[in-house]
Amino acid sequence: MAQCLIKPDIDFARSLSEAGGESLKKCYQCATCAVACPMAPANAPYPRKEMVWASWGLKDKLTSDVDIWLCHNCGNCSDLCPRGANPADVMSAARNTVYKTLTEPTCVGELMSKPQGLPILFGIPALLWLIVWWLRAGFNGGTWFPTRADGSIVFGDIFYGDYTIDPIFMLTFFGALFIIARGAMKLWKMFSPEGKLTVVGEKKCWVWHLWDVLVEEVIFATHFDDCQKGPKTGKPEAGRRVGHTILVWAFCALAFVTAVVALGHWGGKVIPAIEITTPLKPLNLIKIIANVGALMLVVGLAMLTIRRFMENKKTHTSNYYDWYLLGVIWAVALTGIFSQIFRLAEAVGPAFLVYYLHLVFVWMLFAYLPWSKLGHLVYRTVALLHVRMYGRKY
Amino acid sequence: MADKIGVYFDLANIGGGVDVQNLADEAAKKWGDLICLTKLLPNLAESVDEISRDIAEQGLDGVLLCGSSPRVDPERYRFPVMVDFVNLREQCVLSYKNPDGSAFIPGDQAPAALQGLALDYVQMGVAKMQKGSLPDSAAITATPRILVIGGGWTGLTAALEASSMDYDVVLVEKDRELGGAVRTMPEASPLGPLWEDKCPTNLQDKIDAVQKNSRITVYLESQMAKLEGQPGEYIAHIATKSGEKEEKIGTVILATGWVPLDQKYLAPMGLGSNPKVVTAAEFGKMLVKGEALPKRVAFVLDTTIAKDAIAKQAEEEAKAKEAAEAEQASAEAPAAEGEEAPAYVKADLESFKHLEYSNAVNSVGMLRLANTLCEKTGDASQSYILYKNMTVPGILERFYKKMQDRLGVMMTKADVTAIKDGGNGVVVECKNTLLGHDFDLEVDLVVLPTGLVPTTAKEVTVQFAYRQGPEFPDLELFDGYADSNYICFPYETRRTGVYAAGCVRQPLTLDACEVDARGAVLKAVQCLEAAGRGVAVHPRALDNSYPIFNFVRCTQCKRCTEECPFGALDDDEKGTPKPNPARCRRCGTCFGACPERVISFANYNIDQIGSMIRQVQVPADFKKDGPRVLILACENDAYPALDMAGMRRRSWSPYCRVIPVRCLGSVNAIWISDAMSKGFDGVMLLGCKYGDDYQCHFIKGSEICNRRMQNIAETLNRLGVQPERVEQLEVAIDEYDKVPDMIDGFVRRIVALGPNPFKGM
Repeated sequence: MAQCLIKPDIDFARSLSEAGGESLKKCYQCATCAVACPMAPANAPYPRKEMVWASWGLKDKLTSDVDIWLCHNCGNCSDLCPRGANPADVMSAARNTVYKTLTEPTCVGELMSKPQGLPILFGIPALLWLIVWWLRAGFNGGTWFPTRADGSIVFGDIFYGDYTIDPIFMLTFFGALFIIARGAMKLWKMFSPEGKLTVVGEKKCWVWHLWDVLVEEVIFATHFDDCQKGPKTGKPEAGRRVGHTILVWAFCALAFVTAVVALGHWGGKVIPAIEITTPLKPLNLIKIIANVGALMLVVGLAMLTIRRFMENKKTHTSNYYDWYLLGVIWAVALTGIFSQIFRLAEAVGPAFLVYYLHLVFVWMLFAYLPWSKLGHLVYRTVALLHVRMYGRKY
Repeated sequence: MADKIGVYFDLANIGGGVDVQNLADEAAKKWGDLICLTKLLPNLAESVDEISRDIAEQGLDGVLLCGSSPRVDPERYRFPVMVDFVNLREQCVLSYKNPDGSAFIPGDQAPAALQGLALDYVQMGVAKMQKGSLPDSAAITATPRILVIGGGWTGLTAALEASSMDYDVVLVEKDRELGGAVRTMPEASPLGPLWEDKCPTNLQDKIDAVQKNSRITVYLESQMAKLEGQPGEYIAHIATKSGEKEEKIGTVILATGWVPLDQKYLAPMGLGSNPKVVTAAEFGKMLVKGEALPKRVAFVLDTTIAKDAIAKQAEEEAKAKEAAEAEQASAEAPAAEGEEAPAYVKADLESFKHLEYSNAVNSVGMLRLANTLCEKTGDASQSYILYKNMTVPGILERFYKKMQDRLGVMMTKADVTAIKDGGNGVVVECKNTLLGHDFDLEVDLVVLPTGLVPTTAKEVTVQFAYRQGPEFPDLELFDGYADSNYICFPYETRRTGVYAAGCVRQPLTLDACEVDARGAVLKAVQCLEAAGRGVAVHPRALDNSYPIFNFVRCTQCKRCTEECPFGALDDDEKGTPKPNPARCRRCGTCFGACPERVISFANYNIDQIGSMIRQVQVPADFKKDGPRVLILACENDAYPALDMAGMRRRSWSPYCRVIPVRCLGSVNAIWISDAMSKGFDGVMLLGCKYGDDYQCHFIKGSEICNRRMQNIAETLNRLGVQPERVEQLEVAIDEYDKVPDMIDGFVRRIVALGPNPFKGM
């Protein structure tokens, strides 16, 4: 590569260190990590170079590095590092830096990067849904916890779908989608090297590559297994693939239920035959799928959470981004399940309160997605697509 | 001269069916009254008391122990009379193979060749004892005072250490105050456990301790004018500002340290011309003064730019010189002969290499300075360490770990290819970096390493009043560092009684200088005590023999005084050698050199080895009974290698007879003549490696022997003997697996040459 002026930045190194890469200075560039990594190809190894970039505070190099997304964080490098550095954590910190700074408005990224931002992040949807609650409570004759004549609870009586929940969530969802799409495009440009790369050999349209990535990586998460094919390190082989896959499938099930209900609700206004009214009966097929999804969510979450607690803290630390995401999903799952239980139990006070919290957490999950660890769903997919288009598998 | 010898055979260690009774009978028959008694002992090691009794009751004056190698348990057999060994185990039975080359299977009766071999060795042993005697004592009254030259970190430590062992110390410092180079250092690299953090030098405490110590006499602003005499009774002439002082001294510690490499060597990197380029020493001073500190500093450990520029310059100069010389030669007649010998001129050995040797010290130093910078600027600065080799010695790896842990310290291996002005400061161009690409780095200051040039490379430090000159002889191996061979003989110089410590010996960090000072003091004390007992210090520790001169026959040819590797011999105006036993290391190089054979040791001399050679039964029939080959084996490495080969059942030709010598340097040409006239068909000199990677315990012995081989070849030619019959071979102590093949190869070459023309004459 051509001679270029580099600008080492101690402040960036410091921010990386604070984002989970405390050990970045311990590296002495022996490259044991790059050899230990079961994912790194021999002709494009990592994470040795990321360690020296981190030490020098080379922000541009590190944030535009495609390899940080190819790492599946098995921690082999950290286990085998002879100097007690944890490259896996540094890679994770580098990803966190991208979550924090990639997309506008970066002030959200700033708030998302540390626990001190949590009250504000929580406060925004809490206030939003409180206003919605207050609006409906006012129209309903001042009742904050309404029950139907038969004693049943219908959340729609307070959080009315047509005018509040659906528009707000659609706006949120598509807004987040827009923001993350911009981020993905930016990232793609950052990955692309200067000049032109020629791919020799068989080529495929990017759509098929994307399909492969989605099937292999997102739906079946096969690389978690590849990750564990690395050198034996003596640590217990955590079944990350199972927990992660269950979680992904649970989200798919819940997304499916949401889509069906939305289609039934809005489509029903045009074609009455497909109309679906909520709440659904407990033995309704859609409701069963929803509940199975919720249970899977809890099982997957439990597996992933227990794994994090069982990890050797010396070589593997879970940072704030990890706990934030796990925490929000836990909150979504538990508030969802309990709002159903309280609703069926006709405990009107807890039912509405918990449902309100459910809305808050679901909003947090979606609205802050581009700046949260969940962003990896898109960013990692972009990175994998990128390398596949240049002839690598991962 | 021993004349009542007791010969003891150790039956526990003589196997192979050798008829020991026959050996004893033959020896007794041959030597008659000389042998007072012969005994066959079932186990020698358990018969020490019996031998002691024999010595007392029978008045034995020599004890010859036939059995295992002299290297097995020698301290068990310390008797008040001469003791010698005949090696019938390792180098006789265990290494024996049949003359036809087939393996030897031990039976009830030894083959004739083995019995003959054993008998030769016994007879040689008796001859050796007959021609030897116990040395008279060379003990002197040693002055229990140690001279420390240099009052820097090492010198101060050495002075305190020596005084704590109850020796008086004279400390000579060139400067106006004590402390040396450490005075300008802001902090030290770790001096002790946990070896992690920088620490204050506390130099003043050390200086105060020295100044308050009643055992230590300090001479400031002083230098050595002359050192005369020998260990134990040196007289140091010290040039002080109030005139020359004389001090009686036992031994000397040389701790004169280093001077910084001339700036001109780093000029190609901008030093001197660019104010933003400084050396580590200058940067240290900036930190001490607390000047406004730069935000971005490049610590450049890769000095290839300067090295290449200097190599290029040297090449051009050499070319120019060549051209000039060619011109001069054609123009001028050769200089007239018979001019007065030029006055002594000290060669300046300073070179760029000193910077390269200092890499470890600079690596540690730059880690330390980079950290201090971060500390002093509250972690607002960035220190870039650009290295070619980051060398952190030993346990200082812990220091490295700690220093690299600071956020502001950024390191990469890099080829620094240019340092130029640009941007808001200096731009350092780096290639082949760990960052994966070449880059430019903009900095406010560039810090270059400091070369530690040993003072011995620049000046005469000790001023020896020795025949061989006032400074340490240069081996042309150590670029001016005062060193002989640290791995084998730490702190030793080639002047017995003078021990080098600290950066004059090797560029060292402060902790290592302290260790060095302590080690050198121990050596100095050892030497002092050895001189008091009249024994050698090293490598022949405790040897009480020394060279004796028969001046009646001395022709004052000066070969001995010139060839002594340690300058032990002085001479008077006529050239008569003056021995200094306390300087001597007892290698015998002097008597190897002497054409008149006037030098001898009481227990090791020319006649003695000659007599041993003559004791060998050389058969007249070369075809039937094979050749005879004499092996003169250096007892430091070659002889142990042979022992080890025997222990491991490696065998060599039974036609060989091994005689250990103190050093190949002690081999006198007369022994070769002796062997040839006796009828030996070949002589093999088995000694240490010489040259750049020399392993000679006496530094020059095997090299000198090799030089003498030319003269020997000429002599042989004159006598009509093929010079190929004498060969010098090099062997290392661990090459026991190669040495049998070396011997067999030589024997094959001798067989091909045919019999010695003198055989049977």
